[in-house]
Amino acid sequence: MNNVSLKNDGQMLLNGRPVKNRPLMCLNHSLGIAEECTFRSYFRLIEQYPPLAELSPFFSGYLKEYRDAPEERCICEDFDYLELSKTVEMIGFPGKPRLEIYIALHGICQEGTCDMRHQSLFNLLDMPLKLGRLKHIIFGDRVDVFEFETVFTLFEFIDGIAWELGFHSVPMTCTVNPKEVSHV
Amino acid sequence: MFDKILFATTASPTCDAAANVAFDMAKKYDSEIIVFHTYGLPSRGYSPFVTDVRTGDAEVSHDADYAEWVKEEMKNTYAKQMANVKKEVRFETCTGVPYTEIQRLARKEGVDLIVMGAHTREEDVGATRYRNVVGSTMQRVAKSARCPVLIVSRPCTTCFWYFSNIIFGTDFSKASDSAFAFALKTANEIGCKIHMFHAVDLSDMQMGREHDQKEIEARVKEAKEKMEERYVSKMNDFDNYDIEIWEGIPYVEILKFARERNGDLIVMAHHTREIDPEKALLGSTVEQVVLRAACPVASVNRPDKL
Repeated sequence: MNNVSLKNDGQMLLNGRPVKNRPLMCLNHSLGIAEECTFRSYFRLIEQYPPLAELSPFFSGYLKEYRDAPEERCICEDFDYLELSKTVEMIGFPGKPRLEIYIALHGICQEGTCDMRHQSLFNLLDMPLKLGRLKHIIFGDRVDVFEFETVFTLFEFIDGIAWELGFHSVPMTCTVNPKEVSHV
Repeated sequence: MFDKILFATTASPTCDAAANVAFDMAKKYDSEIIVFHTYGLPSRGYSPFVTDVRTGDAEVSHDADYAEWVKEEMKNTYAKQMANVKKEVRFETCTGVPYTEIQRLARKEGVDLIVMGAHTREEDVGATRYRNVVGSTMQRVAKSARCPVLIVSRPCTTCFWYFSNIIFGTDFSKASDSAFAFALKTANEIGCKIHMFHAVDLSDMQMGREHDQKEIEARVKEAKEKMEERYVSKMNDFDNYDIEIWEGIPYVEILKFARERNGDLIVMAHHTREIDPEKALLGSTVEQVVLRAACPVASVNRPDKL
């Protein structure tokens, strides 16, 4: 199977050679990412290969935010790294049996996974980015969870994170004077 | 501003953010608050058993004692928030289809505002594209309620206390006029700014429709004129507003705009297009906005309770 790898600077290597153009032809290739890749590498990838930016309507806004961000120290202390994972759920009850496959991006800390939607992009760009495993969950009379090694295609990588970014927003004004609300 | 608030809850942690806002508002406006939970769907005829709405368990025995027990549980759950409310806090439970019962109670009690969460259960963001995760209850209530419906899907600590930027998104429909009336009333009450926003819909570009720059500019100009005519003319002395017209995919643009202006409340009309909420996968603009926005979204369709 064709394989592309992502470097920290956002460049893709196909069979060890840099991809210069026609990045869409790589979308169905399996992806490996360099150990030093961070969330910033993801934006560098989109910036370096503009056709990829058409995969999500949210890219224009986020690329602007990424360009406005400081060039280093954009980190969040709540978790250790970001992980893209794949989940296959077989749901037998309640309702009609169904199978769902989805990709999610989480912050990973010692306690497990945490939601990163409330973190500003300025706190995430220099967080290490890793590809995770496949979680297979079966909901029936009891819940069984299995984990496996898996591969991600370039499309899954770009689209999975872009989807997550569509939900990402930080309520700036809501952090004003929270202590004045008595029950908080 | 709101004499009576109905807080419709699943009585689970997914509604905690909505609960904080509902009790907060009741405190601020000295409102009476009704905390309402529909805990079971009747299974067969006059059977004493109901299907638990959350777990799907079919054999929950339903009688007066059980209803009282559910109320007690709710009181314990919201004890901390209740302590701050001066007026009466009432707890109501019943069995039935949640959206029907919420609307029935809202009508019967003549509530001024319904507050609810967006989901029945916690969802992974990645899963949302495969599921109808904006709860169908929320969709149906938002579509048909006679009063404004405030949907709170994320934690928000200061809402309706320190609102500073209300985003009013319009498609110039009749329902949007009601949404505008609510946005203006709220802004007047709080003394904050209204950002009036319209997105010229260019989503048909994907279907091959070409829009030249002149046409887009003409549509932007036309939208600005409509804003002046439909809304600004009704503002009287209120002058703390701005008008912005962007072009693109409406839900994307309104979310980008809300982010740019630090919006802390988005007010919109729910689309009146008849889509069965059970079948619609992330259907209308308002549903997309509810799912993705960091701030609460008020859906207002009718002028009845404004």
